[in-house]
Amino acid sequence: MSIGMGSSLGMSDRARSRGPSASPAADVSAADAYAADTQKPSANLRRALLLAAPIVGVIAFFLIWQFGVKLFDIQRFVLPRPSDILSSINGDKSYYLRNARTTLWEAFLGFSIAFVLAMIGATIMAHSRFIERASMPLVVLVQVTPIIAYAPAIVIWQGFGLQSILVMTSLVCFVPFLINGVAGMRSVDPNLIELARSVDASRREVFVRLRLPSALANLFSAARIAVGLALIGAVLGEFFAGSTSGLGYSIKLAQARPNLRMQLWGSIYVLACIGATATILISTVERFALHWHSSQRR
Amino acid sequence: MSERKMSAMADAALTPLVQVHGVSKTFRQRGRSVHALQAIDLEIRRGEFVSLLGPSGCGKSTLLRIIGGLHAASTGTVSVNGLDANSARAAKQYGLVPQSSALVPWRTVAQNVRFLTSLHRRGASHPVMSDAEIDGLLEAVGLAGFTGAYPHELSGGMQQRASLVRAFALGAPILLMDEPFAALDEITRADMRYLLLDLWSRIGTTVVFVTHSVTEAAILSDRVVVMAARPGRIAAQRQIELPRPRTPAMEDEAQFHDVVRVLRSDLREHHG
Repeated sequence: MSIGMGSSLGMSDRARSRGPSASPAADVSAADAYAADTQKPSANLRRALLLAAPIVGVIAFFLIWQFGVKLFDIQRFVLPRPSDILSSINGDKSYYLRNARTTLWEAFLGFSIAFVLAMIGATIMAHSRFIERASMPLVVLVQVTPIIAYAPAIVIWQGFGLQSILVMTSLVCFVPFLINGVAGMRSVDPNLIELARSVDASRREVFVRLRLPSALANLFSAARIAVGLALIGAVLGEFFAGSTSGLGYSIKLAQARPNLRMQLWGSIYVLACIGATATILISTVERFALHWHSSQRR
Repeated sequence: MSERKMSAMADAALTPLVQVHGVSKTFRQRGRSVHALQAIDLEIRRGEFVSLLGPSGCGKSTLLRIIGGLHAASTGTVSVNGLDANSARAAKQYGLVPQSSALVPWRTVAQNVRFLTSLHRRGASHPVMSDAEIDGLLEAVGLAGFTGAYPHELSGGMQQRASLVRAFALGAPILLMDEPFAALDEITRADMRYLLLDLWSRIGTTVVFVTHSVTEAAILSDRVVVMAARPGRIAAQRQIELPRPRTPAMEDEAQFHDVVRVLRSDLREHHG
């Protein structure tokens, strides 16, 4: 066959496929494309609404809260209005900043320690079915036992202070990273593994060039779960490990003192804000790192 | 050149590249032993295009993998270039084209076709293709404009073409193809056959091609090995005398229909 044959084939395929230049905006489902043809303005409106939906949901929630408190005449110390909480945070910025920094640092350290240890564990487990099966019951035990139940035991073992908090935080983050890491490393297309074997690729090459990148999608899912868990671990640690700063400490303090009720809600708001920001950050990085992955296509 | 060297070269040209002797494969399934392959004898010459044709379950893919050193035979021997299959695999004698394109999803087309050549080459008996040669192949299969594209941005046919280039890029003496076009639509499939023949005639490697399509086997091959199932065995071998280069027009000629008729009757005779 001639070269001409090949290039004419190229044309027919190009027409069939989306082509590499197609933008995500052009990538609409058949139903959407049909709607766009028949009634353009309302289709655009619908898409804009869909994009705005998350923001609308959040705003609606806070509006209902804001006016619900007034409407049902809920007492201020039971449930304050969001506007009062925000203005109280605004009035004591340095306090919240200081305590947020403590908690953020604990959560970040615990998250990172868990990630590193889980990756080591996952690598070993991905290489040996026996070790994977032998350690799974322990992993499940760690996962199903409520951390709050053995938090006091950890404090007795590690003493008051940062060390106990880090043990708790990394313990709760460890399991999602480990399970997702192993699943990801095992998720490589078996045809790709066979292909690598057909040229006698080393085990190390298969691991570094196929298994690790394959695990990326699972690890991002794990990271999104672990963000919330890391904050739980840090706050819980501050409850039990005799902390004198941090948002968890602030909450514990406020619980016992009616005059600090605003501080209780302020700390909750700041924690929620940290969690949301971290999640958005991870999702953004994920979007760029996994542009090739089916989970990132709509 | 010395006479001795010349006769050694003549020997190398005459001895078959692949020699399969008395190969059988038995595996256990739910406590019963299944004969996937029984008493297979097969020789494949250098540069030959051989198809293994048969119904599903006749062991053609298993035989391909035994030749490639990916599965071990229960009995019998495989010799490739004087090496056993495993050593031949270590010496990078094979290029594999699997049924699914199996491209690396996070790599571009340009990186994918070089993925196998970039793995370690210790013990390799031959060099891989140069970057320029690989680019030439991409051009030949119509992928020159898509080198920066990711697999998910390509149609099935384009993915499979990248997979073909990836195998040819290895510069390996033997290409093992396991129903590479089976998942494609009929029109794309027909195009792919001639594209493969084009690449093969340029590079002149030996091809072992597994298929369950009679017409595919007929238009592609120098020789068709017809296999039968339960137990997996060679039912017949047919030399395909159609002239080369093969063209789509040939598929309408009486000679081609005769070949197809013979292969069909071979298949029917040993079926069931």
